[in-house]
Amino acid sequence: MDSYFDILSVLILLSSIILVSHKRIKSYIKTFRIQSALIALTAGIMGWNSLMEEGSFDILVVCVIIVLLKVIFIPRLLHKTYGSVEYKVEKDFFLNIPLLILICCGLVVFVYFSVSNISGLNEDHLNLQVVNSFSVILIGLFFMISRKWALGQMIGFLVIENGIFVTAIFSTNGMPFIVDIGIFIDMITAILIMGIMVMQINKQFDSININKLKNLKG
Amino acid sequence: MIAIANNLIQLLVILLLAPMVDGVIRKCKALSQKRQGAPVLQMYYDLFKLIQKESVVSETASWIYKATPYIVFSTAAAGALLVPITTLVPSTQLSGDIILLFYLLALGRFFMCLSALDTGSTFGGMGSSREAMISSLIEPSILVSVFTIGLIAGSTSIYQMMRAMTEVGNPLFHPVFILTFLAMLIIILAETSRIPVDDPATHLELTMVHEAMLLEYSGRHLALMEYGAAIKQLILMTLVANLFLPMDQLISFPGVGAFILSIVLYSLRVIFLSIIIAITEISTVKFRFFSIPNLAALSFILSFLGFLQYFVLGR
Amino acid sequence: MITYLAAAIAAIVFYKHPQYCTLSAQAGCILASALGAVSAVRLLLSGQEKIILHPFESAIPFVSVSMTMDALSAFFILILSILTFCVSIYSIGYTAHYHGKRNVSLFHFLYSTFILSMVLVFTADNAVFFFMAWEIMAVLSYFLVVFESEQEENRQAGLIYIVMTHLGTAFLMIAFMLMFYYTNTLDLYASSDHIPDTGRNLMFLFFLIGFATKAGVMPLHIWLPYAHPAAPGNVSALMSGIMIKTAVYGLLRFVFLYLGIETPWWGLLILVIGMGSAVFGVLYALIEQNIKKLLAYSSIENMGIIFIGLGIAFLAFAREIHWVGALALTAALMHCFNHTLFKGGLFLGVGSIHYATHTKNMEELGGLIKRMPVTAVFFLGSALSISAIVPFNGFIGEWLTYQSIFASISSENAALNITLIISVAVLALSGALAAACFIKLFGISFLGHPRSKQAVQAEEVPFTMNLGSGLLASLCLLGGLFPLIPLNLLSRVISSITGNGVVGQLQGGFLLAWYPLKISGNNNTVSPLLILVIVVLLIVISLLLLRAFGGSYRERKFSTWDCGFHSLTPRMQYSGTAFAKPIKIVFKIFFQSSRDLKFQGDHPYHPESMEYTITTESVFEKYVYVPVLIWVTAWSKRLKFMIQTGSVHTYLLYIFIAVLVLMLYNRLG
Repeated sequence: MDSYFDILSVLILLSSIILVSHKRIKSYIKTFRIQSALIALTAGIMGWNSLMEEGSFDILVVCVIIVLLKVIFIPRLLHKTYGSVEYKVEKDFFLNIPLLILICCGLVVFVYFSVSNISGLNEDHLNLQVVNSFSVILIGLFFMISRKWALGQMIGFLVIENGIFVTAIFSTNGMPFIVDIGIFIDMITAILIMGIMVMQINKQFDSININKLKNLKG
Repeated sequence: MIAIANNLIQLLVILLLAPMVDGVIRKCKALSQKRQGAPVLQMYYDLFKLIQKESVVSETASWIYKATPYIVFSTAAAGALLVPITTLVPSTQLSGDIILLFYLLALGRFFMCLSALDTGSTFGGMGSSREAMISSLIEPSILVSVFTIGLIAGSTSIYQMMRAMTEVGNPLFHPVFILTFLAMLIIILAETSRIPVDDPATHLELTMVHEAMLLEYSGRHLALMEYGAAIKQLILMTLVANLFLPMDQLISFPGVGAFILSIVLYSLRVIFLSIIIAITEISTVKFRFFSIPNLAALSFILSFLGFLQYFVLGR
Repeated sequence: MITYLAAAIAAIVFYKHPQYCTLSAQAGCILASALGAVSAVRLLLSGQEKIILHPFESAIPFVSVSMTMDALSAFFILILSILTFCVSIYSIGYTAHYHGKRNVSLFHFLYSTFILSMVLVFTADNAVFFFMAWEIMAVLSYFLVVFESEQEENRQAGLIYIVMTHLGTAFLMIAFMLMFYYTNTLDLYASSDHIPDTGRNLMFLFFLIGFATKAGVMPLHIWLPYAHPAAPGNVSALMSGIMIKTAVYGLLRFVFLYLGIETPWWGLLILVIGMGSAVFGVLYALIEQNIKKLLAYSSIENMGIIFIGLGIAFLAFAREIHWVGALALTAALMHCFNHTLFKGGLFLGVGSIHYATHTKNMEELGGLIKRMPVTAVFFLGSALSISAIVPFNGFIGEWLTYQSIFASISSENAALNITLIISVAVLALSGALAAACFIKLFGISFLGHPRSKQAVQAEEVPFTMNLGSGLLASLCLLGGLFPLIPLNLLSRVISSITGNGVVGQLQGGFLLAWYPLKISGNNNTVSPLLILVIVVLLIVISLLLLRAFGGSYRERKFSTWDCGFHSLTPRMQYSGTAFAKPIKIVFKIFFQSSRDLKFQGDHPYHPESMEYTITTESVFEKYVYVPVLIWVTAWSKRLKFMIQTGSVHTYLLYIFIAVLVLMLYNRLG
């Protein structure tokens, strides 16, 4: 059982690195969808286990919510929002993509060095799953920094969200139900607001390059 | 004695199976495009036909041009002697070191690049320069993946590594091996010039990398170069098949029957891998040439993360 | 040694007759190098501790010319002798084109004494003598570098060279003074137990900076790409082949044998310096069009690889894993040996190209393989060895380095593991890029159509030049096929240094060198001879099968495929710049190239001619050295104004104050 979670945590980390290496809008949304599906699978296996052992439903319910929200609803919303954007491939980067990938690698090493001293998480061996899922949070934040289009910020926020969820369930085998629901509601609200804002920005300025916000300076 | 016979059988099997892999991949691609496609044995017919034709040699070419096909073919075949198909028979001095294998294939590549420059044509230079770049970028990833597996197995001998992997059981359920497997898949795509690195079926000289180096060759020279490339592809696929999908631990009875069963299982695994490669080729397009460093960086990260997962994170 | 002196004197005696001068001087060098090689091998084989010679003792304290040859010195003298033997044979033909144009006797005098000074460096056993020999070597090589001194760039190159060498030597002097301060003796074979830790660290740093300047590793490398191309062909071979190895000798002698390794960060620092040099060296080599500068940058890369091996060795010794350290040291020294052989061969080959075509620019060469076939074969052999291709000797050095890194990863320290695996990636990258670099060098210079009239008129070089470079190339091949012969000699060196023989771990008896290399505890075997035999057998088999199935070989000659144009001009071929362009674009952070396009004509759309220039920045020079240089010159100008006032009274005042201070020091100290 533990080995399944190992592999799943590695695949989730992999999906976030692949996200950094893409350039097209559709690829961002597709990779995010795959990542959410993997997380739902993890939560599903964990929920099934807890159902068998303790008879508690919460993690399974959370898994269903993830599938509905992050795998079906949010990607569709994003597709609709960005359907009317004129250019579909991001061309302008601060640093080139191989360098970004190498920096992600450095982030994983960094997370290992910070997390390896926390004694609660590492009982007898180092907790591989926590290191991997914590790196997802940092890579999501890095993704937000490295992209110039507004879509990058949104997807980055969602990936951070994913990372926090996965870290929580790996380290404590399940979160309190109320906390989960609260996070989800917050996230939905944020996404809806961001989606509406981006649509308006696009209509007004014909571009979603937020680097141009610099022009508003004094 | 048995060991030497084993090596010879291994060489024969690889030599016979190499054109079939190409045929399988082409057939898959054709079926996915709703065509019949050429028969699976087409490459055998092609090679036989090419051997009987005369060669047209350029006036600018020197002895390097004529020596290269033989060198490419024999280094690939010598590599075939080094890579075991089955782990049931213990190794000899011949089952070599994996670093030796990759530098032996580098000999073939060195001469291929030189022969392309030898004819004094623009396409040859272009093929050489692109091939030089691609192979340099993919090399760190190759060595890091190989070292990871070697360190887990305790040795860099290919036989030891395959043996160790049969003892691991199901390698693909460990994070280390999934990452290294994906890295090696990308390496195979780069080294054997498949989509997305280079299109093996292109006719435009401007998009060729490997084909541009073969452009001037004809007749038996071309047959030898193509055969050598097919053998190299099969060697790399053998490495992946035996390291990541080992089945020899399921054979628990000794004897000649077990040996034959092992070879049959090996062929099935190779065909399975070629179908996977065909599916990869069908579902993507050839990347823009300067997007290949992105792919190489991804492959390096995958192998480096594999190393990290095992040696630093402990599993 | 006496023979070298005799060679030098003979050079002066035959001042008038260039022919005899060359012959006698080189014959002397050849004889001397043969004697040197024989005595070195005899020392290594007999297991003797050392040979001590005391020619002079003088009354001046600390100055005594005494020489000791122990196993490490013997090894380096062996390398020196082999290289000198081949280069001297080569020089007989090469200096023929200096006859009548320049002062040949001066050249031979400098040449013989230069080699003599290097022998002295290797055998000095006393810090002052070592220092003297080091300085003599530097000065003589400066004279050799500016031998063709009427070209401005050669003088510039010599200036940079002498300044950098002196900087390094200054650091060495500080380190020697520290040594004297702590132990009150300058004998190199004494023990160093009394030196406290801070002293050790400081001494290590100063030794490292001094020797790293001589070795030409990043970031102290800027003299190498100027000095080696400026020197005449055979001198470049000597400099690149053996002079930069004196730095390795110095590091081993002083840091390893004298100070003893205890702290791991020493090894880590050397490892990181080595990794940086390896990558940067080969990257800058790839974009060069001057064939000698390309080889100079490639020397930087190979020194980087040697430093990686040394770093791994020092790390292993600091962690008390002795057999890994011995293995890594064997790898580093084996690479030294191989590098001397193949770099010597390459420089001699390039010298032959220069002799035949009088140009060093790759863009003007081409098609030389048909006009200089023998040179091409030997050059190809050396190029294959430097790219670490089986079955040449470069592969053995790389393989040993990989195995030593393999054996060092397996410990608990995570940061160390990460650094080690990154060094594997760096080694792999630099190896592959080096292969690309030498494909470019050999391919563009020798293959294809000739790109200029000089290339068309090239002729084969004289026999002695080919003999020299041919000897080196065949030694490369033999060393690759029978690796145990040099390795046996090396293991005696290593066992005398560390007490661990590595050949016990490498299977095979002495001189039964066709047994495969095998590292026990690892169970992997490498047998290059077997591979060569298999490859040749397969070629024969394929020829027979082709004959059987395809009938006899028919061939038709035709021109190259030209896409329908009628004439392929030499300008349509790939040039050197074009070959390296993809790699330049991928690594563009390091190059920062700029383009310039100039038109001549009335209107930009109908130009009469256009000129397109691509330049790359030398990153280190622009960002590191030039600001330092500007700051130093500005500061020294200000100082000059303060001190040199031009008035005689101020100068007398200075003398007076100095005398007073010295008397005070004598009273108080």
